[in-house]
Formats: sequence, structure tokens, C-alpha cells
Amino acid sequence: MKIISKDEFSNFVDALIKDEKWNVIGVKAKGDKFAFGPLENANELRLDYDVTLLPPKKYFFPQRETLFTYNLADGSSAKNPETKPSVIIGVHPYDIVALFHMDEIFRDTKSDPHYFEKRNSTVIIGVNMQKMSKWNFAPYMGCAIVDYGYDLMLTDLGNRYAISVGSQKGGELLSKYAKNVNSALARDIQLVGQKKREIMNMSQQKFDFSTEMIPELLKETYEESGFWEKHAEKCLACGSCVLVCPTCYCFDVKDNPDLALEQVERIRTWDGCLLEDFAKIASGENFRPTRPTRYRHRYFKKGKYLFDRFGFISCVGCGRCSSNCLPNIANPVELFNDMYHEIHSKGVKVSPAQTPEVNIQTEGNIDYVPRLATIINKTVMTPNETLFEIKMDDGSELGHKPGQFAEISVFGIGEAPISISSPPTKKGSFEICVRKVGNVTNKLHTLKVGDKVGVRGPFGNGFDVDALKGKDLLFVAGGLGIAPLRSLFNYVVDKRKEFGHVVLLYGCKEPRELLFSKEMEELARRPDVEFKATVNWCPDGESWGGNIGVITTLIPQVSFDPDKIYAIVCGPPVMYKYVIADLKARKVPDDHIIVSLERRMKCGVGKCGHCQINQIYVCKDGPVFNYSKIKGVPEAL
Amino acid sequence: MKPKVAFFDFAGCEGDQLQVANLEEDLLTLLGQVEVVSFREIMKEHNEDYDIAFIEGSCTRLQDEDRLKQIRKNAKIVVAIGSCATIGGINALKNYKNLDEVRQIVYGESARLFDTYAARPIDAIIPVDAYVHGCPIDRNEFLQVVKSLLLGKKPEVPNYPVCVECKKNENICAFDRGQFCVGPVTRAGCNSCCINEGTICWGCRGLIDNPNENSQKEILIKYGLTVDDAIGKFKLYFGWQEGKR
Repeated sequence: MKIISKDEFSNFVDALIKDEKWNVIGVKAKGDKFAFGPLENANELRLDYDVTLLPPKKYFFPQRETLFTYNLADGSSAKNPETKPSVIIGVHPYDIVALFHMDEIFRDTKSDPHYFEKRNSTVIIGVNMQKMSKWNFAPYMGCAIVDYGYDLMLTDLGNRYAISVGSQKGGELLSKYAKNVNSALARDIQLVGQKKREIMNMSQQKFDFSTEMIPELLKETYEESGFWEKHAEKCLACGSCVLVCPTCYCFDVKDNPDLALEQVERIRTWDGCLLEDFAKIASGENFRPTRPTRYRHRYFKKGKYLFDRFGFISCVGCGRCSSNCLPNIANPVELFNDMYHEIHSKGVKVSPAQTPEVNIQTEGNIDYVPRLATIINKTVMTPNETLFEIKMDDGSELGHKPGQFAEISVFGIGEAPISISSPPTKKGSFEICVRKVGNVTNKLHTLKVGDKVGVRGPFGNGFDVDALKGKDLLFVAGGLGIAPLRSLFNYVVDKRKEFGHVVLLYGCKEPRELLFSKEMEELARRPDVEFKATVNWCPDGESWGGNIGVITTLIPQVSFDPDKIYAIVCGPPVMYKYVIADLKARKVPDDHIIVSLERRMKCGVGKCGHCQINQIYVCKDGPVFNYSKIKGVPEAL
Repeated sequence: MKPKVAFFDFAGCEGDQLQVANLEEDLLTLLGQVEVVSFREIMKEHNEDYDIAFIEGSCTRLQDEDRLKQIRKNAKIVVAIGSCATIGGINALKNYKNLDEVRQIVYGESARLFDTYAARPIDAIIPVDAYVHGCPIDRNEFLQVVKSLLLGKKPEVPNYPVCVECKKNENICAFDRGQFCVGPVTRAGCNSCCINEGTICWGCRGLIDNPNENSQKEILIKYGLTVDDAIGKFKLYFGWQEGKR
């Protein structure tokens, strides 16, 4: 431990500012509150603050950040300028822990280069709390003091600071820019220990139970809709609680062209799961439409889903959510105490959660820049749906598995997740069947053969083709659900001998909405595939010789051995539960039912949060799921 | 071919068109993208041949409806600009009063010469393709909308409240400054410009799709407003929307 006088510490900060190599950031007064901001001189520093309006997260994961810039005409992108290294002075321990949470999230599966570039080039100078906001409960979360995660850590000892050096980077900074740094004496070390003990007793909040029970308490409360409705009754869905949170990481991605329409920035901005449209997709379906369900999702995400995956409760006790909630319903201490007492009063015994086995791997970086590709064929199928054939410009294969999807960029407009409709057996190009529903898909429909698009992916978990080999297959497709299923179906047809009996049931609203009608006609003639189509109704002026009725009316028309058949189901959200119920009635085992789900898959790499159904990321863990794995996931079907 | 654009005004202060006229250097870039064929504030010429119509002001009398319908007929795209056109604006304050009384107050003895009816946004009369909310509109948002239209994209208007932008801008909450704000129920898109300047949100962009109005009113009262003043906060800009709910 080192000791530096406060005057010398000011000189140290001023020396850092003077050396233009660094962005020097520190805590400053803002009205009667505090905020991290660029320092002009050491006198602006307010290390006696209680809490800042926003956490220092904004320097690693900014409110608005350019992922890359591209040329609107041809999609070619430019490299981002390098970031200048930063020193952030005055980070409280709970915010340091929060950055560790963010690190885990941003390195899970694939690493986010935008986050880590800034994280790795930043020096963190922490400070032990001298004041604590009245909402703070960091001591209960084990985040009030830390002995890791900083480069330097200050403790105010009146006329001097004690400094713990946490890294080589911190030590070097100190020796290069600070003068008269001495080794700490025994009394200073003891004083620091005393200060830390005081901090542990500073919170004005009080948990009535051990916070290690939070994940188990939540588990007991999920279905208690009355509890969530009561607590969320006054929720404004304003998103303040999530926007000020040091561990919230959900984001949106948008395209922002310049006025000359030459260059486009692809930007990412903070988003929040409390906001109404967070889980809404282009077709208008909202998968978490009510305030209580969104409110519940937030607490589950913090206290259960992230705990199950990473082993930590993703709350550091800073109290910002509580202090920023106008109707005063966001204080986790109050919510969890209430939850504890309610569960307790029902006689349910809840014990501390077992720490889960954590195994987070990182395989390379996320590439947010799409690869360029060209539309080589366009087949209009209905007034709303067109099949696009796309070829990668570098001559490579997309390399997808049946059931996977890609993020398709339409330049100037943005990016949308679209399932791949062609089987991997088709070489040299791939196909997507696209319905006009939003900005990206509407514009895509106006593009011509020869026009460029961007492609990221393939993403997600596709169908386990090997496991299906030799099995009888029952495909059940509703409407546009045929698009992802076709990638597997055509694969099966191409390798027909490797599979058993094959049935395709396909339904849509009316005859003119039938997709791939030519392929269907050919299918109907094949002796080795059983094909049945249905329409919900046949309006005057259209002709239809087949079945009329919803898709489930076809199921009784086919015979199969429930133990041998594997059902593969994809369609509009409302379809699943009826089809699954009918299959179960026919004794098809749960693990023989495979579904492909649709959600708002924005980033494609399990980061942005939009496609989440309870603990599952559809973009990463799905979109293809075995029903036995998700039947207990309440938000899934 | 550059799309032809025209500006029209109904009951309003023309402050939104003034925002467009004040685009400064961006105006030149904009004129590289569109051809302005009608814009009373900056040019004498007028032409009925246009692709995009920007309409400012609310509709406050029956005879304005025909003019609106004619504009709709002429234009491929109709854009409502400014609170009066998008949500009825402060003109809708009069809807809370007896309209004969309103005419008397405004026109005195000549009242019988002037028609009036409840003020309403233009989408109460004709279909509207895009909205630039605000009183006045934000120049940057206007340009965003123009860019979207030029690219064949439906302009995105946020369906979250001003608090989202306010928090991102790291403002001190107006309530913490002892002021009364309707940002928690007001549609964002303004980058919380008023709160950034130390004042409050008056609600000029209208309500979000599903505002929790009861909670917002309760907060206003909890922080010290009378019930009447809290209701008054809602009347200022939300009159037409409240009337419809």
C-alpha cells in the first residue's frame, strides 16, 4: 500500500491531464448530484460523492456508439478510428464489480470487440466510498469493497490517500506521473481496514433475509401474477431503472445515413427490457406486451437467468434504479423483502441458491460488419412474399445448417434476421423467402437482381440433421413457417434415402398465399413423400381443390407410428400450442417434437437481449428447439 | 429525379416551417436531395405538382377539411409536422371549453363571422404517412424523417417516453429539481431537449402508445401539484389524445 498527500494527488491528476495521451475522466459535481465527465483540472474531482447519475459503463458501452461506417452505394465499410486510452478516476467498488459483470456478458460465446477495445485501454482508479446514497445496498451484495478489478484504489485518510496498487498498469501510471509517493505505515493500513469496516455498516437499506436466497425466491414467485401486477401497477415503463443500471447491457442497432445519402453509420444504442416495444417484431407481434411481465423479466434477468448462467446475481446494490424510479417501485430491497415475506407466509421454505456450474467460453470476436453479397435471382411468390437467391461476393458458401438464420443488411435501412430457406446441399448460393413486414424487408423487395446486400451469419442452432437420419419425419408448416422448414425439407428430399417416411403438412390462410406452389405441385407427384396442403378458407374467385380448415385438420389425415415419427413444426406463434396438443394426443413423445421459433433477433449473437424467452436466447440457443427442452419455459410457446 | 416537396399550414404559428427555414448549412444539402415547389415562408412561387406534402397546423374548422383532402390527393406522401398537425397541439386546449364562448373570447363582436370546431390533428381528417412531432419540431429529427422518406423507409418514431433520452443524457430529473415534468408519458424523439436545458417536458410530442396516466398523475400530486394542476399538465398538449382515449 502507498500513501500520497492530497496535494500531490492533485498534481498527479493534473500531470495526467497535461499529457495529452490520455482521456482523463473523473467524478464531478452536476447540480447537487454527480457525474463522470472529462476533467479539465484536478480541482473538479469530487471523490467525496455518494453516487453518480450514470455508472462509468458509459465509457465502455456508450449510450450511442458507431459500430462501423459504410458506403451506401456499395456497402463497403471503413475501419473505425482507434480509441484514445482513458483514465477513469473515482470509481466506487460496486461499479468496479459491475464492470466485471459486463466483461462476462460481453465475452460470453463471442467477444464484443467494441466493448473490450475500450475496456482494455482504460485505467481504473477506484475510490472507497466516503458517502453512500440512501438507496445503496452494496454491502448486502458483496460489492461495497473490492480487492480486485482496479488499477489503483484510493482510500481517503483525511489529508492523504492510501493507494492500493491493483495492477502493473496502475503502478506504472503512479510512478510515471506521481511524486512523493511513500510506502504506507502500519497506522495507515489499519486506518484503511477501519474505513472498510465502516463502509460495510453504512447502508440505510436492510434485507430481511440472506441475498443468496434471491434466485430461489424468484423461482417460487414466477407464476404469482398477482404479486407482479401489484408491484408493477404504477410502473411507467419509462425504462429509467434499466438505463441507469451498471449491469444492464441490452442494446438496439440502427442505421443512420448522412443527409447527402453517401455514408451510413451503423449505431448501437442502449435499449431496455422495460420498454413497450422491446420484444416486438416487425409483424407487430409483441412477445412481452404487458408492464408486469416486463417488470418481472427484469428481476428474473438480474436475479435468476444471469445467476444460472454466470453464477452471480447481476445486481451490485448501487441503488440507482431505486433513486430514479418516480413511482418508487424499483427498489430491489423492498421488492425482495416483500417477496420473501409473501413466500414465507405461505409456509414455503426457501434456502440459499446453489452456485451453478459456470462454463463460459469465448470463441473469437463478434463481427458486426456484414459480408457483401449479391442478389442473383428473385422469384415473386405472392404479392407479399418473394424468394431471393443470394451469392456471397467472395465466392464462399454461407455454410449454414438447415434451420439457421442470417442477419440481412439492406444498405441505408438496416438489418433484419431472416431464416435461410435453401438446404446446404444447394451450392454456390442460398435462398431466403421474405415477407414484406418492416422497413428492411419492404426495401429488400424493391431491390433488383444484381443489387448488393450485406450478410452476417449463419446464426443460431439449426436442426440436428444427423439425429434425424433414418427417422420418419412429419413436417408441419403454417404460412411463412415453410421458409425455415424448407431448408431441412429440401435437404431431406435431396438425400431421400437417408430418411424414413416423410410427410409435409402445409397450411396457409387462402390459396393465393400458398408459397413455393410449383415445388408443392411437384411434391404432390412424388411417390416417396406424403404431401397435404390446406387453406383456412377459399374466398370467391379463388380455386382450391384440397382440404379447407386450419393446419390441425390435416393431422388426423395422416397415419404414423408415434414412437418412430419426429415432428418438425414452424408457423405463426398462435399455431404451436394447437399443433403440439394434437401431436401429444396422438402419443408423439415430447422429445420427438422439434419447433423453430420466431423472436426479435437483433444482434444474432446472444447479446442485445431482444429475443430472450426467459433464460434462453432464441438467436443463440434456437431458433430450433426440441420441445422437451422448452416446454417448461413459460415465455416460449 | 429529385422528389418535389411542398409545405402547407393550417391553424398554427408556422414555427415548424421556421425550423426548416433555419436549417442553415443543412438546407443546402437538403436542396440537393429535394426540389421545394411550395414554401410560403421562404419563396413566392407555388406549384400544385408535388410528391411530398409537409403539413403544419391543426384542423380547427370544417372548411379546412377540403383543402386537406386536396393535398392528400395531390401528394404521394403526407407528413404532419409539429404538434398542432400531429396531435392537435395546444389548439386542442379550446376543446375543453364551449366553442361559442371560445369564438367570443377570440373574435369578440365579429365572432359570428368565424367558424370553429374542436381542434384536431390532420390524421383525424386524412391518412398521414409520417410524423415529425414537437413544438416546435426538432431540425435534426426533421432531417431524419426526410432521409428515411428519400430511402423509401417508414420513419421510425420512438414509442418510449422522454425519460429514456433524458437518462441517456444524464440529466438530473426535473422532479429532483423541484419541477413537474410529463416526460414519463411523452413520446421521445426530441433527445430530451427541454430537460437538457434545465426546464421540464411539457408533453409537446404527445402521449406514448400506452402511457400509465394514473401513475403519472399520482406522481405529479405526490411531488406537490394540486389535482387540478396535474390534470392541467395533461390538458396542455394531450387534449385531443385524451379525448379519444
